[in-house]
Amino acid sequence: MSIGTPTSILVVEDEQQIRRFVRQALEREGHRVFEADTVAQGLIEAGTRKPDLVGLDLGLPDGDGAQFILALRAWSSTPVLVLSARSSEQDKIDALDAGADDYLTKPFSVGELLARTRALLRRLRPGPAQAEPLVRFGEVAIDLARRQVTRAGAAVHLTAIEYQLLVVMLSNAGKVLTHRHLLREVWGPAYSDSTHYLRVYVGRLRRKLEVDPAQPRHFVTEIGVGYRFQL
Amino acid sequence: MTTSDRITADVASATIGHRADPCRLHRIYVGRPRLFANFTERALSFDARTADCFRMTPAPIRSLSAPLRHLLALAACALTAAVAWPLHGTLDLANTVMLFLLTVVLVAAFLGRTQAILASFASVALFDFFFVPPQISFAVSDAQYLVTFAVMLAVALFISHLTAGLKSGTDEAIARERRTRALYSLAKALAGSVAPAQVVEETVKFIAQHAGGQAMFLLPGDHETLQVFSIDGGPSAAALTMTEQLSASAVFHSRETIASREIGASDGLRLLLPLAGSTRCRGVLHVTAHSSRHTPTDPPATLDRPLLEAVASLAAIALERVHFVEVAQCSQLETQSERLRSSLLSAISHDIRTPLTALYGLADSLAGTTSALPESERETARAIRDQAMHLHGMVTNLLDMARLQAGKMPLRLEWQPIEEVIGASIRAVGLTLRGNPVRVELAPDLPLVAIDAVLMERVLCNLLENAAKFSPPGAEITIAAATEQHWLALSVSDRGSGFPPGSLPRVFDLFERGARESPVAGVGLGLAISRAIVEAHAGSIDASNRDGGGACVRIRLPTGGAPDIEPEAGDGPEAGPA
Repeated sequence: MSIGTPTSILVVEDEQQIRRFVRQALEREGHRVFEADTVAQGLIEAGTRKPDLVGLDLGLPDGDGAQFILALRAWSSTPVLVLSARSSEQDKIDALDAGADDYLTKPFSVGELLARTRALLRRLRPGPAQAEPLVRFGEVAIDLARRQVTRAGAAVHLTAIEYQLLVVMLSNAGKVLTHRHLLREVWGPAYSDSTHYLRVYVGRLRRKLEVDPAQPRHFVTEIGVGYRFQL
Repeated sequence: MTTSDRITADVASATIGHRADPCRLHRIYVGRPRLFANFTERALSFDARTADCFRMTPAPIRSLSAPLRHLLALAACALTAAVAWPLHGTLDLANTVMLFLLTVVLVAAFLGRTQAILASFASVALFDFFFVPPQISFAVSDAQYLVTFAVMLAVALFISHLTAGLKSGTDEAIARERRTRALYSLAKALAGSVAPAQVVEETVKFIAQHAGGQAMFLLPGDHETLQVFSIDGGPSAAALTMTEQLSASAVFHSRETIASREIGASDGLRLLLPLAGSTRCRGVLHVTAHSSRHTPTDPPATLDRPLLEAVASLAAIALERVHFVEVAQCSQLETQSERLRSSLLSAISHDIRTPLTALYGLADSLAGTTSALPESERETARAIRDQAMHLHGMVTNLLDMARLQAGKMPLRLEWQPIEEVIGASIRAVGLTLRGNPVRVELAPDLPLVAIDAVLMERVLCNLLENAAKFSPPGAEITIAAATEQHWLALSVSDRGSGFPPGSLPRVFDLFERGARESPVAGVGLGLAISRAIVEAHAGSIDASNRDGGGACVRIRLPTGGAPDIEPEAGDGPEAGPA
């Protein structure tokens, strides 16, 4: 994707009015939007249009959204933003485990939609953050090459696990990471059900790196699902 | 038809007539001669239509009264003497002795031991009187006949002893086999039963037929009190005496020493048997012996206790099995209806949220800064958007309440720090809280709590939304968490109008609103849902008004038993500055 060519976004959603406002909002941002209303058509569109992002409803008439993600992930790593009307956290977890990157629970505002879209598209772009091993958010600066963390210029001591957790979250910034995924990445498969470890360590990171640990701005809780790191 | 056959049939008919009540006489044993047994059975079934007729080896004569049997024994000896008398000239005395010995054997086989002993003496006396010279006299001419008498008596007694013993052994074995077969058929009938009524019916029938008693089942009803189980559902006529009731409940509750208990009564014996299942006592079996006593000289009614105990344990096993089948069916039904309910609720949820999403999103597009509409129209669009959001909140609360009211809501309890749920809740209601800053006061070192984060977030969101709804713009909302002994105390307080005086005891009731006809939107479900969720976590929730104005809702959640977090190995300076 070179600068200048508009990004293309595929919206797979069976409710026409939802497609309409999503399309309007995305087109105002300068994106090209393609629409599909079934899993089958969505996969065809994804294959021909090669979109930069897919917005996906989970309850489609001819199948589950998770099926779509699994089929798509067989050949593409295009980010997927799930638009879910379901309140069950398990559906979201299933979609995320199948390979979705983020989710929005209906009803959602145009602002939320655009913010999530921007965050996911930003991950595609090779930005300066990846060229240089230095990440900054708020008062915190992390030097990935030297494994050093500073807050307002002062060094912050992180344990090995805290640092590893921070790195995994940083490298997936903007993306929702399920509890299971984080536990596997940081503690290993044997700990994939020990969510209290993860929660305690995220709490420690917040106390060390957030301005107000009780109302975190960067280490965001996705209740019942996992965490999201946002810059 | 021989004389003996006619006698047997007559005796049997007479017996039926004597016992008067054909319903009570359930069985007549028809004895030998086997050749004529069919005829006898026919005669009997004609006479006693309701009685079961069994062909049995024990002679019917055995059931006659003792004096009659003694007379029959003497008559048999006399008959032998009468038969041998005309042959006296031709038949050697030794062979006459043989005829008498044969008589003793027959008497022993058919009439019993004492009758055989009587016949032994009578035979020796008759032999001496009629056959040993001088005849028609007890005098003995030759002293060596004394040896004959002695040997004859000894042999007769020995034979009668052996025969009678053999006979009673056979009878016992046959009776035991019959009982075993009957028990087996009962077990088979009980194995096929699917309801307690069937078990009771089969067992009562069996005891009436095979154990000579009238059975009654006392099964635990509500509050573990024993009640007479009647098959037709009506109240049982057979009321128990106070003694029987007390004894029955003693038998039922004495779990350690499970034993049957006898109660004597004027009209016969009562037996109380515990129905001991493998997990608990399933009830008490009450058996009354059939009163066959018409005159004081009749033997008192008895009950076959080992047989009844076997029956009781069979019935207990069957009742237990039926009980567990019921439990399994119930839980299967519950699972199915639970699944149906949950799929129904999620379908409704999906169908309502889809148009709401479109409504909200379209209004939001119109209200957006990039919209070409004039400001007043954008204001209208914002109002539509906000109302759609309110509607969504109400629908969410209604669906949550439907889930909670539907009964068991499965909790996904996980150990977690409470501040995480607090942070997520503040974030979730962020838009509503725009005008009211939230202050979080957390005590240091709060323990982990086992909570369902999604549900607890609903509680805090509801409380925060309420606080924001009733607070003047700019007023601070405070969330505080601290430990109180074994509890985690959580409170949400505001500086709003507070709860109306007098409404505090009812604020958590369904559809209770802070103020009647209040202009503030909401259907009053929020607090009811919060209470249902907190109580499902074994916690408590209460509301109060603060000094200086404002409302405060306090939640207490149980703590303790949190899993340890292993300290990190090699907690070195590797990630920090050297």
